[in-house]
Amino acid sequence: MTYLKISLGVILAVAILVLICVVSGISWLLGIQLYSTRAPFSAFLILLVLLIAGYVFMTEAKSGKEFPVRKIPAFDAIEEAVARSVEMGRPVHMTFGFGTISSAMAPQFIAGLGVLSHVARLCGKYGAKLIATLGVPEAIATTEEIVREGYYSSGRPELYDPTYNVRYLTDQQFAYASAVQATLIRENVGANIVVGPFYAESLIFMEAGNMVNAFQIAGTARETQIPFFVLVADYSFIGEEIFAAGALASGDRETLASIRGQDVGKLLSIILIVLGILLLLGGFKLVDSLNWVWKVG
Amino acid sequence: MSLVVRRHIPQLIVTVIIILTVAFYYLYINKGIAESFTTADKALSDWAVIITSFALIVGGIDILRFHLVRLRKEGLKQAPFSAVTIGLLVVMVFFALHGWFLSYADPKAGITITTQPQFRWLYLNVYAPADAAMYSILVFYIASASYRAFRVRNPMALLLLVTALIVIFGNTTIGGLIWPGFLPLRDWIMTVPNTAAFRPITIGAGLGTIILGLRLLTWREVSWLGRRE
Repeated sequence: MTYLKISLGVILAVAILVLICVVSGISWLLGIQLYSTRAPFSAFLILLVLLIAGYVFMTEAKSGKEFPVRKIPAFDAIEEAVARSVEMGRPVHMTFGFGTISSAMAPQFIAGLGVLSHVARLCGKYGAKLIATLGVPEAIATTEEIVREGYYSSGRPELYDPTYNVRYLTDQQFAYASAVQATLIRENVGANIVVGPFYAESLIFMEAGNMVNAFQIAGTARETQIPFFVLVADYSFIGEEIFAAGALASGDRETLASIRGQDVGKLLSIILIVLGILLLLGGFKLVDSLNWVWKVG
Repeated sequence: MSLVVRRHIPQLIVTVIIILTVAFYYLYINKGIAESFTTADKALSDWAVIITSFALIVGGIDILRFHLVRLRKEGLKQAPFSAVTIGLLVVMVFFALHGWFLSYADPKAGITITTQPQFRWLYLNVYAPADAAMYSILVFYIASASYRAFRVRNPMALLLLVTALIVIFGNTTIGGLIWPGFLPLRDWIMTVPNTAAFRPITIGAGLGTIILGLRLLTWREVSWLGRRE
């Protein structure tokens, strides 16, 4: 079954990627307009390289190879936050932002759901009360499922109460912020975990958590909100770490190996930046070459 | 529910959508296919809007359920908050339905849900000021967070404080009166070190998104599916 789970998606993806490579070579020779002019060809190549690199690392992990993954302090602190809340007899609060599943913020939202899954399982393990608040109505069912699964898989189904554990508040930004703030203060939460896409409401959540002396763990890939989280939270996930957190939460070797693909991307970015600077010293703008679009004729 | 319905079908839909979106974004076959893709892309976005709209109804019911259960369990302690929420929810839905009814019953009047007079009055005079007030609270939170952040506990905190003071003075008229150099110094901080710090985060987030996409393609990312079976 595991083999089937990997193979179906992978075979489709790899088959299409190989097909694209072969067809692009032939079309270049024949002078056919194969690629859209809306994106530079380099972007497509980089995407291809990253996907293949990530896939190769995943298959290597499947065959037994171990990939060391550095510790993320904020991820390790989640268990401490939940345990501390239990000791204090206070609930754990988690919210995953205001970005919707159907927007460009979807990846961060999914990363937030991954962290929620981890938090729910820890709450089940330690017998903590979890309050997951959300401002996205289309995620109510998923959130309920994740929290339910967390308590059930930890052998504490009696702790699961959908009305208490999962609270849809509103889809309006500041009404959501206000309701989360009220929840944090009225419920006197012991831990405040906020991971996902956040906008101006981020600091409101953090300051409300600070008012009740909650253990705060925050993370987002929205660069404008990261400074607020770094300043106010006890631990913070910075940028891409939220995506890695989802993989760490899964505990799955292949999923963890995929993070190596990000490292290849970082290496590629560093090489391109250094090369760009060196070539610029020689009067050549690398960025012009990278912006080249496939245009025949 | 079976594993196929709960897990495999959603995963297959996501896989197909990712492949089609990436393929049609980068590939060009002919004008007709490009236009068809744009139409299909718009249709998918429309579906998302429609699903979200229906999810809002579920959300409204969820809010109602939550407050009714809390009222029953906690009684008077919870009553003021729940009564206001339930009352306004019912009133707003009532006026919205009235506006919707009028838009069909008397189209010439030009009244719709959002232009229904009572609905509009409540929105403009209750919701909008409360929303603006909530936003304005941010300034006090920024001040208190800054106070905690700028306490000089180590050399890095001192660096943060000095940088923040330069940016603050560069943004205010009094800064220019004290020393005209604050403005160009602020511009340099914002365009050089600030941008240099932001870009790796943006690049990292982009790379993380691509790898998350790979995990979705290979069916290894399952957190969004909820229950594990």
